[in-house]
Amino acid sequence: MEVVQIQRRLVDFTKSLFMEVIPSKKNKTGTLRHTNLLTKISVLCLICLVLLLLVVVDREKGLLDSQFLQLQQLQDESNPDFVVEVVSLFFDDSEKLLNELTIALDQPNVDFKKVDGYVHQLKGSSSSIGAQRVKNACVDFRNFCEVQNIEGCRTCLQQVKQECYLVKNKLETLFRLEQQIVASGGSIPMIEMDF
Amino acid sequence: MQRVMQSNVSTSAATTSCDGGFTSCKAEEVMISDQFPAGLRVLVVDDDFTCLRILEQMLRRCHYIVTTCSQAKVALNLLRERKGCFDVILSDVYMPDVDGYKLLEHVGLEMDLPVIMMSADGRTSAVMKGIRHGACDYLIKPIREEELKNIWQHVVRKKWNENKELEHSGSLDDADLNKRGNDDAEYDSSVNDATAASLKPQKKRSNTKEEDDGEIDNDDPSTSKKPRLVWSVELHQQFVSAVNQLGVDKAVPKRILELMNVPGLTRENVASHLQKFRLYLKRISGVAQQGAISTPLCGPVEPNVKIGSLGRFNIQVLAASGQIPPQTLVALQAEPLGRSTGNLVMAMDQPALLQASLQWPKCIKVDHGITFVQPFVKCESSSSIHFPQSFAPVEDVTSGFKAWLSNNIPTAGPGNNGGLSSQNGNMLIDLLQQQLQKPQQQSTVPELRCSINVQPSCHVAPSQSSASFQAVNNPVSVTQNGSFSRTAVIDYNLLPYQSNCSSLITGQVSNVNVQSTGVLSGYIPPASVSPSVSSCSVNADNCASQQVQTSSMTFKASRNLPGFVRSTSNVHDPNGSTKPGDLLDQAPFNNLGYINKGTCLPARFAVDGFQSSLSSSSHGKVLCENIGTRVKQEPNMELGDKAKVGIQMLQHFPPHDLLSVSTE
Repeated sequence: MEVVQIQRRLVDFTKSLFMEVIPSKKNKTGTLRHTNLLTKISVLCLICLVLLLLVVVDREKGLLDSQFLQLQQLQDESNPDFVVEVVSLFFDDSEKLLNELTIALDQPNVDFKKVDGYVHQLKGSSSSIGAQRVKNACVDFRNFCEVQNIEGCRTCLQQVKQECYLVKNKLETLFRLEQQIVASGGSIPMIEMDF
Repeated sequence: MQRVMQSNVSTSAATTSCDGGFTSCKAEEVMISDQFPAGLRVLVVDDDFTCLRILEQMLRRCHYIVTTCSQAKVALNLLRERKGCFDVILSDVYMPDVDGYKLLEHVGLEMDLPVIMMSADGRTSAVMKGIRHGACDYLIKPIREEELKNIWQHVVRKKWNENKELEHSGSLDDADLNKRGNDDAEYDSSVNDATAASLKPQKKRSNTKEEDDGEIDNDDPSTSKKPRLVWSVELHQQFVSAVNQLGVDKAVPKRILELMNVPGLTRENVASHLQKFRLYLKRISGVAQQGAISTPLCGPVEPNVKIGSLGRFNIQVLAASGQIPPQTLVALQAEPLGRSTGNLVMAMDQPALLQASLQWPKCIKVDHGITFVQPFVKCESSSSIHFPQSFAPVEDVTSGFKAWLSNNIPTAGPGNNGGLSSQNGNMLIDLLQQQLQKPQQQSTVPELRCSINVQPSCHVAPSQSSASFQAVNNPVSVTQNGSFSRTAVIDYNLLPYQSNCSSLITGQVSNVNVQSTGVLSGYIPPASVSPSVSSCSVNADNCASQQVQTSSMTFKASRNLPGFVRSTSNVHDPNGSTKPGDLLDQAPFNNLGYINKGTCLPARFAVDGFQSSLSSSSHGKVLCENIGTRVKQEPNMELGDKAKVGIQMLQHFPPHDLLSVSTE
C-alpha cells in the first residue's frame, strides 16, 4: 500500500512539474516512508523517472512533447511494450533515413527533391512519437532544402543527428528505469498532463 | 473466410489485422448495430512503419477493425480483393512507391469509399490538393486519437448521401427498405453498410442498368430532387462518344448533353461525370507515360491489353496504343457497347483497364512479390486483361487474341454486334499485332492469351471507373462455355477489374434475362469460392445469410451464402437497386448489371433475401461479391445472355470475386 501512496504522490508531483515551473513540493517526496528495500528502490526509481520526464517532456523546448504522452496512454495490457516498440521502430527508421540523407548530401549534384522527401518522412515519424526537437530540426532542414542551400542542409543534418541521438539516449534511460520499477514490483504510474 | 484471409494476410505487406478483421467482420454482423461506430473497418496505408504502428494502436483503441498496409499497391489489391470489407481508408500523402493522391483517385473511382489523407505537411496548398482529389478529410501529423475517433462520420455521411440520392430514384426504394431491414439484424454498422451497399452510387462504375432501364431508377426528371443517376454502360458509351466527337479538351457538359440526347439526363449529371472522366483520363495517360518508362511491362501491356481484352476495340484507341491518350480512351469507350452485347464489352474497357493498369506500374512489379494478390498483380502489369502469370511471347497474344476473337464473335450475344464484332475482331487482331511489334513485356502477352480463352463473348462494359485493368477479367468470368472462370487466369483478371465491373455490368446486365431462374440453383455461393477470393467469398457469406438472393450483398457479408450466388449481383450494386431475383437468374453477371440498373432487374427471386443481404453486407463488398456469385451461375446460364452478363459481372465485381467464383 505504501508503494501505491508513493506512486500517487509522485504522479501528483510530476504533474505539477510538467505544468509549470518546479514547485516547491519536493520536500514532500522526501518524507515518504518506506518500510522495505523493495519499496525504497521503487520510490527511488520513480523519482528518477519523474525527474527525467521533467527534463525530457516540455511544452516548448523539451525533447519530447505531448505526443509522447499520448503514446504512453496507448499502452495497455494487450500491448504492454507498445511505447518501446514504437520508439524502436522510429530509431530504426531514422537511422536509415539519416544514412540516406548523408549519402544524398555528399553527392556532387544534390537531389534536393529526394533530400526533401527523406526529411519529410523523418519529420512525420518524429512528430508521431513526440520527438519535438528532432521535428523542429527537420522543419529547419526543409526550409534549407527549399532554397537549395547545401551548406545549410548539411548543418541541419548534423543538428538533426544530434537531436536524434540525444532523445534516443534519454528514452533509453527512461525505459531502463521503467524496467527497474517493474522488476522491483512496482508499476509505472500513468502520468497525465494537460498539454 | 478465415482461410482466405490467412492467405491474403501472408501476402500483403504488413497487414496486421486481416485475420482479425475478417473474423470480426463476421462477428460484427451478428452484433447489433447500435455498437456503431465500433467495428468500423479501416484500412491504413502509410510507408512509415512508426506512424503505421501508432495509428493501428490508436484505431484499435477506438474499437475499429484495422488493417495496415505499407504500400499503396498492396492496399489497392487488398481493396479490390475484399471489396466491401472496408469502410474507410486512411492514406498517407507522401509515399515512395505510389502517390497517395493516385491511390485516392483509384479508390474513389473504383470503390467509392471515403478516403482520409494524412500528412506531416500541413500547408494549405497541400490540404487543398487533397480535397480536390476527392479526399473526405485531411489530417495533419502527428495524429491524435481524438481525431481518429471521429472518422466514422465520413462513412455515415457518404452512405446517407447515397441513400438520399437513391431514394429519389424511386426504383431503389424497395431495395433500400429491404436492406435496412436486414441491416439491423446483420451488421453492426449495418445501417451504413446497407445503405452504402445498396446505394453505392456508381457514377463511374457501370451501373448495370441499361440506358433505358436506367432511366427508370435513373433520375426522375420530374422529382424536385435530382435522383441519383446510374451511369450504365450504354449511357457511358454515349457519353464517351459525345466527348470524343467534341474532343476531350473541348467537351462541355452542355454540348455533351445535347449530343447524348438522353431524356432525363441533366447537365449536372454530365458535368460531374465529365469531371470524373477527365480525372481518370489524366491519370491514365499520366500513368501510361510513366508506366512506359518505369515499367516496361506496363507499356507493352497496354497495347496488348487493349487489343486482347476488348472484343471491339476502338481502332482509334488501339492505334494510339502505347500510351492511351485521353482521346483514344474516350474513343474506345465510345464504342457502343450495345452493339455486341455478347461481345467484348470488356474490350472497351480494356483500354481503360490498361490505362488503369498502367497507372500502377509499381503494381506490376509488386506482383511478384506479393503473394496474395498475385494473380491480380500480375494481371495488372499485363494490362489488366488477365491475370496470367505466365509470360507468353507476344506472338502468342496475337494468336490468342485471334482465337479469342473468333470465339467471341460467334458467341457474341444476340444481335447487333455480330458483324461488328467480327470487324472489331479483325481490327483488334491487327492492332494487336501492331502492338506486339512494339517492345512489349512478356508478361502482358501471356495474359492476353489467358484472358482471351477465358472469356468468350464477355461483354465488357467499359468501366468508367479507373479500374480499367479489370476489364480483362471480365471475359474470363463469362465462361460462356459454361466453364466459368475456373482458371486462375480469370481470377486474376477479375481482381483488378473490380472497378470496371461495376461499370460494365450496368450495360450488359440489361441483356441478361432473369429468365434463367434455374441458374440459381447451380450457382455456387461465393462462400465456396476459393480462398483467394476470400474477400469476395467472405462477403458473400455474409450476404448469404440473408438469403441467397442477395448475391451481391452476400458477397460482402461473406456469410454463409446460400446455395445461390445470386446475391452476387446484388452485392455489386451498392445502388441497392439490383434485384436479387435478377441476379440469380443470370448468373453472377446479371447481378452486376442489375445492380446498377436497379429497376430493370426483375425481382424474381426472393428479392428480400437480396435486399437484406445487400444491407447486411457492406456496400463495398457488394461489388465484389456480385461478381463472384455470378460467375458461378454462369455455367447454368445460356451462353448468349449469360456470357454477357457474366462478363459484365466479372468486370463489375472486384477481381477477387471472380477468383472466388472461378475457384469454386
